[in-house]
Amino acid sequence: MAKKLKVIGTPVPKQDANIRVTGKAVYGHDITLPNMLHGAILRTEHPSAIIQSIDLSEAKKLPGVVCIITADDVDVNNIGYKRDHPILKKGEANCTRDEIAAVAAETKEIAKQALELIKVKYKVRKGIYDANDALKDSAPQINKFISGKFENKNIAETFHYEHGNLEEAKKNSAHIVSRRFTLPRMTHACMATSNVTASFNKVDKKLLMYSSTQVPFLYQRDMAHALKMSPSDIRVIQPIIGGGFGSKLDIHPFEPICALLSMKTGRPVQILFSREEEFIASPIRQPMVIDLTAGVDKKGNFTFREINILKDNGAYTSWGATTPFVIMQSFSSLYKLKACKFNATAVYTNNVFAGSFRGYGNPQATFALERVIDLLADKIGMDKAEIRLLNANEKGEVTGQGLHFDTCGHKECLETVIKKSNYNKKVIAKQDARFKKGIGLASMLHVGGGAKIYRSDGCGTTLKIDPYGYCTIISGSNEIGQGSETVLAMMAAEELGIDLKKIKVINTDTDVKPWDVGVHASRTSFVAGNSLLGAIKILKEKLSKKASELMNSSHSEFDYENGQIVSVKSKDSIALDKVVREMHFSEPNELAIASFFYEPSSKFQDKNFKGNVSGSYAFASQAIEVEVDTYTGNVKVLDIYVAQDVGKVLNPLLLGGQIEGGLLQGVGYALTEELLMHEGKILNPNFHNYKMLTASDIPDIHFFPIETNDKEGPYGAKGVGEAPLIPTAAAIANAVCNALGVEFVELPLTPERVLKAISLSKINNNHHNLISL
Amino acid sequence: MEFTIISPRTRSELLDVIRKEKNFRFGAGCTDLLMELKKKPHANLTVINLSQIKDVQFSGFKKSAKGLRFGAMFTAHKILMNEEIRNNYTALHESAFNLASTQIRQVATVGGNLCTASPSGDIACALVALDATCELLSTSGKSRNVIISDFFTGVRKTALKKNEVLYGISVPSKSKDTKDVFSNFIKVGTRRSMECSVVSLAYHIQVNKFGEIIKAGIAIGASAPTVRFADSACKYLIGKKYKSISEKEKEEFAKKVLSYASPITDIRATAWYRKEVLFNISKSIFH
Repeated sequence: MAKKLKVIGTPVPKQDANIRVTGKAVYGHDITLPNMLHGAILRTEHPSAIIQSIDLSEAKKLPGVVCIITADDVDVNNIGYKRDHPILKKGEANCTRDEIAAVAAETKEIAKQALELIKVKYKVRKGIYDANDALKDSAPQINKFISGKFENKNIAETFHYEHGNLEEAKKNSAHIVSRRFTLPRMTHACMATSNVTASFNKVDKKLLMYSSTQVPFLYQRDMAHALKMSPSDIRVIQPIIGGGFGSKLDIHPFEPICALLSMKTGRPVQILFSREEEFIASPIRQPMVIDLTAGVDKKGNFTFREINILKDNGAYTSWGATTPFVIMQSFSSLYKLKACKFNATAVYTNNVFAGSFRGYGNPQATFALERVIDLLADKIGMDKAEIRLLNANEKGEVTGQGLHFDTCGHKECLETVIKKSNYNKKVIAKQDARFKKGIGLASMLHVGGGAKIYRSDGCGTTLKIDPYGYCTIISGSNEIGQGSETVLAMMAAEELGIDLKKIKVINTDTDVKPWDVGVHASRTSFVAGNSLLGAIKILKEKLSKKASELMNSSHSEFDYENGQIVSVKSKDSIALDKVVREMHFSEPNELAIASFFYEPSSKFQDKNFKGNVSGSYAFASQAIEVEVDTYTGNVKVLDIYVAQDVGKVLNPLLLGGQIEGGLLQGVGYALTEELLMHEGKILNPNFHNYKMLTASDIPDIHFFPIETNDKEGPYGAKGVGEAPLIPTAAAIANAVCNALGVEFVELPLTPERVLKAISLSKINNNHHNLISL
Repeated sequence: MEFTIISPRTRSELLDVIRKEKNFRFGAGCTDLLMELKKKPHANLTVINLSQIKDVQFSGFKKSAKGLRFGAMFTAHKILMNEEIRNNYTALHESAFNLASTQIRQVATVGGNLCTASPSGDIACALVALDATCELLSTSGKSRNVIISDFFTGVRKTALKKNEVLYGISVPSKSKDTKDVFSNFIKVGTRRSMECSVVSLAYHIQVNKFGEIIKAGIAIGASAPTVRFADSACKYLIGKKYKSISEKEKEEFAKKVLSYASPITDIRATAWYRKEVLFNISKSIFH
């Protein structure tokens, strides 16, 4: 029988909570280095323009200005996943974020003032702000750095996937539904604005970056490529990160710019974004148009899905362009499906470019898919809960795409939220004249054991115990607020019997820590956890051997508890720190240290995107109840019921935090958050008009973790971080449709969109209008 | 954002500063001012910080037979906590309750909300419905009274002269024949806190012992260049029984309210939406 767990599964508070709430946490904004300069970036005035001249003379004269650079002053490579993004723009501007010049000055104020003195002459061009326009033959080429691999000059990337016999599946369909869905731009709005401090040492030619990146080793590599340096000459230290959510997966131009200013001046340089700059110049969730056609047979089994996606790539290509990896998984494999054909195209425009954002395309896909499932249910006159239960994924299933569901809580998630929310009763409830209630269902599938998109999806750990019995975990994987440090410390406390207060996690310095691919894909607890458990196993073998020697016993089985190593058989014990001292200080003088590299069992997908890409898969279902004010169009989310297959609850407190935070991002995506653009310019770069929800908008959240104990995961756990926001917008939209009997194909469901839909439905006196505003 | 700040301590020091300074803005809670200056810096600006002035008439609250009087520096938080206001002037209470957030309400003042003269001012909207009077103090030490709907002269424009400061606000008590008061403030926006009204409506309706409306104050916000008093809608209600107004009368009333609206289309909503919602919520004020 498995050992009873003492620490894992308990509500241990986040280990860095105290320093954060007392203001003692050192964020990137708090870093001050001796002799440090302050950098600022001049961005284009026009989203599409020829840069005719740049006059720096007045700016250079300003006292306190130390250095100004433009594209002409630097010898660098492009950045970005496709290497199509110049760090400083030369000759033309293609996007409102475009960096034209950068200043380093003695103070922030002087740096800003200098920007105002730089005179740039532009010849304004008519930009392209619609992906369809960019595909026209008459459209000029927007990004000049792509190789022309695709048939159209403005295509940045394409994805094609299929499984099953689509034509046969269509023939076997009793009903087919087609819809076009339009998804908005959403921004991360991290609490800490973007920040970087670069310090180049002119003597040894080494660069130190204090960076909030989520992927320090890829960052090191990409930065080195951009700056034409050797990666190992760049040391990346991560201060405490005030929010990531995927926004820090790419390197962004301000980071190499900061390094360049430091290299030019030989002094440390810091660049901090203002909030407005953060809205304008940080990445967003990909806007896209999804055409989905799906079928169902007469018994209610899903037959096929055919998907065409047009993504507005913006002017440059970031990791955001690769979201179809994830999008296609949901379309191919969420609910059992016989046939699927998927095409996605990312098209250059003069709009702002997207990056990665928690969920990585999945909220968009799930919105379209789960909306169409409701429509299919209506078509065949089947209950919306029943059709989902009928088609839900199952344990042991290998999907058309080759995903192996060794454990699968999908059905249990659905059953839980249907029951707990009283769905069956509420979905047919009678309505008040003004305030109409509705309930909606949606599920999601996401990677739960990392995602093999890079050559290694692994993580290294070095573990040491010092002569005082304190444990240091040096993990390749770091913390961006998700609580992984706490979870790792809990695992060490569980396995080694060391008090949590005596466990330190060191994970912020690329010169010290071993390889890890980075914080993304809900992978840290899974991958870094498994890596740590591997190191613990090795170290315990060493410690147990020494303990056995010291006890003069032949026992080889020991329990580690309360700082003691206890023989299972004799119950004799010896203090852990004493064993470590004896290892260190008596012959043969051995360190209490162990290293382990964990690589998940997942496989790289083949060129047809088939293969088991993750070590395990997470499932979740949500039932959300809303109340729509038909006088104002306001949607109030009343209750959210969420059941999520988390594998195993490692820490209910932190898990609850991930669930609540994710859900609220999902509610924002559904109802309020949209970065509005007109001809390439952002209209609402502030919290005033970019409507993030506040504490007073939080609905009642009822969370039911489903434990499927995946053998691949640490203690059976799966990744949890992204899942909670993925089905939220879909469930809310289904709920609003249920309340009003009106259909929506666009997010967010702002009061105006909802009221317009209500008013059109009154005019047409038709309860199934297709509303697109 | 750079400015000089002067913090007078007394009323006479304040009047002195107003006399001397040429290019100044008043700062009360500064919740709007700082945002404005950040967006559009003024050169050589002096901010006269009103928050250090020790003057009970400028920041305190008093109830008399005639009604309420509070100073311009009375905060939104104090409105919210005031029992008299909560019980008898619900529209004003609700306007403060819906304003921004707990933190901002601690410093945001009535005077600031009025002098910003935003068409979407929440406290302003309630005070227009309540038929308040503004007391403007000039550097001569004399004051004059202006009816609140005359105080707002345009978008971000008020009747304040260069040598005047908004000193206090009076709100009349209910009529002697009033038995019940139906009073509320309806704010429409996207989220429940930190929201600028997309449309707002304040009503303060007094009925006699027969249930007949004897006095009505209806004001609309975010629907015209200023907060507006919907006079004809108010008059339409006089003599009608509040609790038995017909659907047809509700619509007629809503149409009259709507006649005061000339909303714009902006980033937060279209004119269509504002009108539609104003019509709908106008109908909804009767029980």
